[in-house]
Amino acid sequence: MKEQFSGCMVRVHFGEEDRWQGIPLYEAIVAKCKELGIAEAIVFRGIEGFGSASRIRRSSLWSFSKDAPIQVSIIDSEEQIARLLPFLDSIVDEGLVATSRVEGILYRPNEHPTKS
Amino acid sequence: MLSPGKAVKVTIYLSEGSTRHGVPVYTSILDFLFYRGVAGATVTKGIAGFGADHHMHSANLIDLADHLPVKIEFIESREKVDSLLNKLQAMAGTGLIEMQETNIAKPARTTKDLEKEQPEHLKIEGHAQLMRIYLNEEDRWNGKPLYKALVEAMRSNDLAGVTVYKGFLGYGSHHQLHGDESIFSLHHGSIMLSTVDTAEKLRAFLPIVDQMVQEGLVTFSDVDIIKYAHRSPDVQQDIQSEAESDKAE
Repeated sequence: MKEQFSGCMVRVHFGEEDRWQGIPLYEAIVAKCKELGIAEAIVFRGIEGFGSASRIRRSSLWSFSKDAPIQVSIIDSEEQIARLLPFLDSIVDEGLVATSRVEGILYRPNEHPTKS
Repeated sequence: MLSPGKAVKVTIYLSEGSTRHGVPVYTSILDFLFYRGVAGATVTKGIAGFGADHHMHSANLIDLADHLPVKIEFIESREKVDSLLNKLQAMAGTGLIEMQETNIAKPARTTKDLEKEQPEHLKIEGHAQLMRIYLNEEDRWNGKPLYKALVEAMRSNDLAGVTVYKGFLGYGSHHQLHGDESIFSLHHGSIMLSTVDTAEKLRAFLPIVDQMVQEGLVTFSDVDIIKYAHRSPDVQQDIQSEAESDKAE
């Protein structure tokens, strides 16, 4: 099944150490996305970067720092994203939220998914 | 320099042992063609054959092994061939010269020419589009990981480039259908492919995506290309030869 839509992409940038109510911030964001039924959320760990607090975030074998840069990409229609933004606003203390317009095509398996 | 289109292929059949001014005939003909600026020539050695005098020459017969057949082939324009022919006839001696009309589909190029020319797909600038494809690491297509197959398909279709990212957490389209798993059981193999090219090229590639991606998400957004730089072919060769010499060490 194929569904075309015009929507919005949100990218949230922060650090791996950032937490919200004891759980990693990225897990909280993905959980919220799932709760809202948002189409796609994916978390990337960067190998190097710096953020709003202007410190180099680096995850390397040689350093014990686990504060790697994290990027969460979220895609859905503008209405869905609008429902998510207040939540992001409330839980991201230090970081960056960027939105951009995208044209999307969603592929879904038919009635019986082949994967469990 | 040859150009695509009509040309003449000349084949000269000689015996390896025949000499002219003390050197094998084929080497003197090859030198002649070289210094007269022929685009290229190839000498091949037969393993058996016979000529006008009807002696069988074969690599099995040790006494005649130095009379094996030799063939010189070259391709040139009609005018060039006509200007060479008298001299070649004199040089070939007992050999046979054959000419045939041929068509050049692609002329040979020097590496220097290639440096100057950029392949069409490497010329992109200004407005372009970014295509992102989200899928599962476990998705497969024809027995190989789907993301790998997509990269190969993109390369075959001359898309400007693609980068594969692996997410360590996420969910995609099929989790929406049965969304009762806990977040911790979600697949940890989310993959995103990111590729930039002109809108036309990406739209033209879309039917292939349709065919290969059973479930997932594809998005397009507008981008501006600021710089698209690439190595020239000879630099790549240098790197390859360096790598080879490293291996040899």
